[in-house]
Amino acid sequence: MILGNYLTAVALFCVGLYVLLTRRNLIKIVMGLSLMEASTYLFMVSLAYRAGSTAPVLVGPPAGKTAKQLAHGNVADPVLQNFCLTAVVIGVAVTAVFLSVVVRIAQHYRTLDADKVRAMRG
Amino acid sequence: MTRTSLRERSAVSHAAAREATECEPRHRPWLGALLVAGVAAALGVAMAGMPREHATLPLIARYALEIAIPRWKLTEPVNEIVYGTRGFDTFGETFLLLAAVVSVVVITRPREPRRGYFGESAAGTREQQQYDPDPASDAAEQEARSAERREQGEQAPSGEPVETPDATPLGTPAPETAEAMTVVVRNAIRVVLPILAVAGLYLVAWGFSPGGGFPGGAVILGVLLLVYASYGRRKISKVIRPGLIEPLELAGAGLIIMTEFLGLAFKGSFSANWLPLAPVLTPLSGGVAQLFSAAELIEVGTGLTIVVFALLGMSHDWARDDQGEPRGGGPKR
Repeated sequence: MILGNYLTAVALFCVGLYVLLTRRNLIKIVMGLSLMEASTYLFMVSLAYRAGSTAPVLVGPPAGKTAKQLAHGNVADPVLQNFCLTAVVIGVAVTAVFLSVVVRIAQHYRTLDADKVRAMRG
Repeated sequence: MTRTSLRERSAVSHAAAREATECEPRHRPWLGALLVAGVAAALGVAMAGMPREHATLPLIARYALEIAIPRWKLTEPVNEIVYGTRGFDTFGETFLLLAAVVSVVVITRPREPRRGYFGESAAGTREQQQYDPDPASDAAEQEARSAERREQGEQAPSGEPVETPDATPLGTPAPETAEAMTVVVRNAIRVVLPILAVAGLYLVAWGFSPGGGFPGGAVILGVLLLVYASYGRRKISKVIRPGLIEPLELAGAGLIIMTEFLGLAFKGSFSANWLPLAPVLTPLSGGVAQLFSAAELIEVGTGLTIVVFALLGMSHDWARDDQGEPRGGGPKR
């Protein structure tokens, strides 16, 4: 049942969102965002899955199947795998942006508490 | 044991327990839980309507699978989609990556050496007199400044610098001051590195099998990080220097722009294939997809390297924490 995977992705997303809403530690907020990001990878890879399918590689299809047959349902969805592939790399770079901002905030304000980071104060 | 010392010990252990466990406050957990439950319910309903494992493939996936061999001579539809059918999307994502790299470089930029005097200290004399008439530096400030100079390599650290921990006997207490790791780790990584590097390049060169520029670039970053971890910063700083990898990154971006726009020039459509196609199952079989993939290897490999090493190289802030204020006090004055 692939629905279990979908619901796990929802659960992961919600854990990340809960961290985002209830915590004020900037590192934990970045971790929550990463968790939400990871949940979308799980969701997309699960969405690409087809029952009894093979990897979307057209060289040497399994015995009794042709490349034409592969295109009609016996193969995992390559478009969603493409999304995942690029999203992982972008995710690393974006997390690095978050973390560098967090380091600068910690150096400037001497705190990681988002409540205390208020530029307009004193 | 007297009663007082017992009480002291229990106080100490309580403090230790407080330190060990999380004492961070949660803000409005009930409201957060309510909102999250709402989101979870909405997403759960949405998920129930998503295509399951017995659904037919979407139209674009079937289209990509059907044209992969006739039009691109690629046996790997994922590569065909990344660099062919959805090339425009990858093109946009490349510049998203580039934007993230530029932001990290700008945010983590270290203090730059002065290039000249332009009168700013004289301009602020009146305000300096008004607010801080005695700017003599105290001991803490001098300590922070000397630590900063030491980190930037302007001044030799106190004591002999230790390059490897090979001569250090086992069980020597921390801190470990050596830059590199032990001879065991160094030799293991020396054996593994060429294999990993070749595997990364193989992923890109054999574009008709799973792989491509994105995973290849990530493998290259892994190789460089292994060198960093085992041999230390000084060894790798000859290769990982902004003057070398930032132009490389931009050259990769330039190559991607050129690859895609030449399709517009030669074939009348952006990201169209303008290279002759080699036979199936050869390294050049993807035509322009392979060129795009190789350019993406440069772009992703150098981009992620710049980002990660910029974070690793962020210099410390050596100023002391304010003693009087509780932890997490206000902004530094």
